[in-house]
Amino acid sequence: MINIWSSFTGKKAGRAFVLPAVIILLLLTIFPFLFSLFLSFGKVSFLGGLQIHFAGLRNWLRLFNDERFYNALSNTVLIAVIAVAMEYVLGLGLVLLLNRGVKGSTFFRVLFFLPMMLTPIAVGYMWRMMFNPTRGPINHVLPLLGLPAAGWLTEPKIVLYSIILTDIWQWTPFMILILFAGLQSIPPALLEAAKVDGASGWRLFREIIFPLLIPASVAAILLRSIEVLKIVDKIYILTGGGPGIYSESMTLFGYNLGLRAFDLAYGATIAFSLFATVLVISIIFLLMTRRSQEISLE
Amino acid sequence: MKAVKNERFMKVTTYLLLIAWAVFVVFPLYWMLTTSFKSKLDVFLGPKYIPWVDFRPIVQWWIRIFTVEREEVIRPLINSIIVASISSLLAVLLGTMAAYGLTRFKFKFGFFRNHDILVWIVSQRMMPPIVIVLALFLMFKVVNLLDTRVGMILIYTAFNLPIAVWMMRNFLSQIPISIEEAAMVDGASRSQIFFRVVLPLTLPSLAATFLLCFIFAWNEFLFALILTFDKASTMPILIASQHFQRGPQWWDISVMSTVAIAPVVIIALSLQRYFVKGLIPISK
Repeated sequence: MINIWSSFTGKKAGRAFVLPAVIILLLLTIFPFLFSLFLSFGKVSFLGGLQIHFAGLRNWLRLFNDERFYNALSNTVLIAVIAVAMEYVLGLGLVLLLNRGVKGSTFFRVLFFLPMMLTPIAVGYMWRMMFNPTRGPINHVLPLLGLPAAGWLTEPKIVLYSIILTDIWQWTPFMILILFAGLQSIPPALLEAAKVDGASGWRLFREIIFPLLIPASVAAILLRSIEVLKIVDKIYILTGGGPGIYSESMTLFGYNLGLRAFDLAYGATIAFSLFATVLVISIIFLLMTRRSQEISLE
Repeated sequence: MKAVKNERFMKVTTYLLLIAWAVFVVFPLYWMLTTSFKSKLDVFLGPKYIPWVDFRPIVQWWIRIFTVEREEVIRPLINSIIVASISSLLAVLLGTMAAYGLTRFKFKFGFFRNHDILVWIVSQRMMPPIVIVLALFLMFKVVNLLDTRVGMILIYTAFNLPIAVWMMRNFLSQIPISIEEAAMVDGASRSQIFFRVVLPLTLPSLAATFLLCFIFAWNEFLFALILTFDKASTMPILIASQHFQRGPQWWDISVMSTVAIAPVVIIALSLQRYFVKGLIPISK
């Protein structure tokens, strides 16, 4: 014990502060990460204790020939692209509305932030009740407006959009949060000067506000994309991946095969392909936005 | 004259749009809350909207959850409280120490410097949990941590560390070092400075970071789904299992979901002033 404390005082004090966190992360994320990569080239058996055999590329070949993989991948990417785009546009719109000096803007802001804090499982049930074909308010109200009712969670062509709507409900607040902070950091003097120069409305937005919001926008879109690609809990409750596998996401696919079908090695392979997807999409996005970020920094 | 009229039109539109979004946000919450007060008949007869107008609210399900179903609900609730609080406390303590180390000392391990260590820690949060959770399942099985609170506390500590480090680094870098230098001149050791000078100064930030970690741990689903099955199950697992056990008993599900989100709503409201200041200054 005394040794530990003295390490806080000596020259190596810095390490004593950082080390505990690093050790926890090495043990509980880096090690399982490498273990999982190893698993994807192996075969797990529980006969006579836990045994892992080397299986070469077997799991990976199976993955690339698995139609269910391409289904889950395209579902996940489709949800991510549409949900993030909608959340960004809605979030930006709402931030600009909030910034117009409305009365009670604090009230609106607090209310608008709320959904992203809520337990996703509860949110899933909330929307499952909303989407209920016969007893849900959505199918009750739509015919009154002359629109057709639908099987929101049972029709293959619609189900992904219902999940996207739920995600928009919960996560547009994240866009509001970050874009609002970005907007606050624009010096008011700059906006005043632009107004004196006769810029207003659309021009003010396009030439001053939007360019200055680009760094915040890039951060918000990137972080949200990374998160939404992991989507599982709301789908688990809303549809369980159904009908059939029409709404199965990558994480749900990995869970279903890794633990429900109890093929941990194949599950790890699926999980790693999701990791690769997240990495590739993040890198592409950062490369695409690098130019515009440089411009905004000038 | 025309400009004034135009301005009034803009103002009205602004309010209408904001109110429309507010209704969109509130309605599902309202729907769940009211469902928890509806009789089975009122749920099955189709949508009923307003209590005392088109249905008679009852408190039967709320009473039931604290009496008949008490045994079933109380353990996951206690598990959630214990696991989320202790793991958040640990994440904040270790995260603050790491953040302090990274802002006050210079590190160099080969190419790895302070900024690289920070990026390495924070980037852990990017990793999809499914990547590590299957391996964790095997690891926990080997060391007998499956379905234990200790296992869940460990994994949620690791899960929240990146956020804790990131937030505390931003808060700590705003504290002037001169205060610590003064303490050092007075002969205080590093650990004394950290625990007696720095921590008290950052108390509000520590509280905010703790609450944010608490929310993440409280809401987490995938780790709990795979690493617990009975003794250490948390609230999200209890609620998620309702549908499979007895078919959708919407009234019970609504009560339990309301219980699960109530603490988070209270925390979110108490944190709102941090949000305005930019609780997560990612855009820097």
